[in-house]
Amino acid sequence: MNVIEVNNLSKKYKDILAVDDITFSVEKGSIFGMIGPNGAGKTTTIECTIGIKKRDQGMISVLGFDPLEKSIDLYKKIGVQLQETSYQDKIKVHEICSLFMSMYSEPLDYVPLLERFNLSNKNKSFLSNLSGGQRQKIAIILALIANPEIIFLDELTSGLDPKARREMWTYIKELKNEGRTIFMTTHYMEEAEFLCDTICIIDEGKLIATGDLQSVINKADIDTIITFNTKEDIVTAIKNNITGISKLEITENKISIYSKNADLISELILFLEKNGISYNNVNIIRPTLEDAYLKMTGKSWKE
Amino acid sequence: MNSFIKVIFIEWKLNNRNFLNVFFALFFPVMMLMLFGTMYGNEPIAQFGGFGSIDVSIPGYICIIIAVTGLMTLPLTLSQYRERKILKRFMVTPIKPIDLLSSQLIVNTVTTIIGMIILLIVAKIIFEITFIGNFLKTTIAFIIVLLSMFSIGLFIAGISKTMKAATVISYIIYFPMLFLSGATIPLEFMPRSIINLSKIFPLTYGVELLKGVWLGGNLLDYMNDILILSSIIIIFISLSIKFFKWE
Repeated sequence: MNVIEVNNLSKKYKDILAVDDITFSVEKGSIFGMIGPNGAGKTTTIECTIGIKKRDQGMISVLGFDPLEKSIDLYKKIGVQLQETSYQDKIKVHEICSLFMSMYSEPLDYVPLLERFNLSNKNKSFLSNLSGGQRQKIAIILALIANPEIIFLDELTSGLDPKARREMWTYIKELKNEGRTIFMTTHYMEEAEFLCDTICIIDEGKLIATGDLQSVINKADIDTIITFNTKEDIVTAIKNNITGISKLEITENKISIYSKNADLISELILFLEKNGISYNNVNIIRPTLEDAYLKMTGKSWKE
Repeated sequence: MNSFIKVIFIEWKLNNRNFLNVFFALFFPVMMLMLFGTMYGNEPIAQFGGFGSIDVSIPGYICIIIAVTGLMTLPLTLSQYRERKILKRFMVTPIKPIDLLSSQLIVNTVTTIIGMIILLIVAKIIFEITFIGNFLKTTIAFIIVLLSMFSIGLFIAGISKTMKAATVISYIIYFPMLFLSGATIPLEFMPRSIINLSKIFPLTYGVELLKGVWLGGNLLDYMNDILILSSIIIIFISLSIKFFKWE
């Protein structure tokens, strides 16, 4: 079941087409991740989806609501972390939390939430005195107070150090395990690889690819690289006996075989063994999401 | 607790944690009262129709408090809330950013009233001021002045892109008005040219109205001021509604 449906969404700012005819859907209980470079249209997409930006074209349905029409009903059921939000000057953690609690008819109590995010001792602190990571945890807590069915996270981990980022990943997985749906944007590839059930790459407002990790990588159509060392001259023999090679490179003793077919490695090993060729240091480099991303967005592809 | 009441309550606490807000609304007017009171005393003076210097100055000081909360605190807070995307964050909750804006109006009205009460208590104790005006009429005049300043404040908050811009606009409007509208120094002491200049400042009409009614005048005697202030309210509220940007 899809809890978010976005069809042919377009949004213009003056002359710039920030989002250009994007269509995607988010399945209930999954983590949906939108990746793309800065200015790709991620934030605009998320903000149109939750109805704080008016779309120019397209249909959006979130939990069955059009976010521009039944927004109040929708906002009772979703939790949001916006990029770059700060809070009122000199507001304390318990004050902002209790303020958010007062907004919902059946909120989650913030006290256990602070405990769960290891912030109990910050209850009476000024928000401005918290670290970046702690403030992002508060952002999640404020989103969670709504007891939301869907949580929107717009670049939650940007600017956090690697340790704090990994800590956030654990929390996001937990939210999924509670049965919540997560719509997140990020520009960290490893984050999308690690967390997302569905990945959606956008660039310059256009949707480049969407699907699970493997299908997105497959769509980029990038060679797997198999390398091994051997002292024998077998280049011609390999070319004649093994099919599906798109490129073959040799540097000193090292042979690199490029192929779309990663299973070629078993064929290769079989061939080497059968002919008694001595070899070592076999390595296989599969394309990563980053490779796929770089190729599909055309940003400095290294081939 | 009802969420709007909660918002007001928290905004009230935050307002009181801001030293400048508290200082300019609650203590600065009293300091001015003490300064000018010590200089001039409150003996009856013929030029003021038998009232003392302080008797005639009090309405002006009240106008200063209104100008501080309406033209400084209100626009600076709201423009900061927009710049820091706090208003935007409230958009995606079951309550609306307008609740935050309304709570600011309420908080600043309450602050103004408290500032006025402190001022009056000190003035009564130290300078034994007399009030011969009608309470209801004075309240009406107070509300008109308050609304006119708050509507200008809302407009400043609505059009300034950043808090810095709001600060610049507020200072440019506030400080000349402080000295040239008759609020601090009675216009009676001013040369003709300054009196003419004072006519461009909205607060001048507010001071004239509040002072007139405070000293026992009728609202009808100040129809001119009331009309000008009402036009300001209508114009700036309309402009604010049209131009206010939530993000």
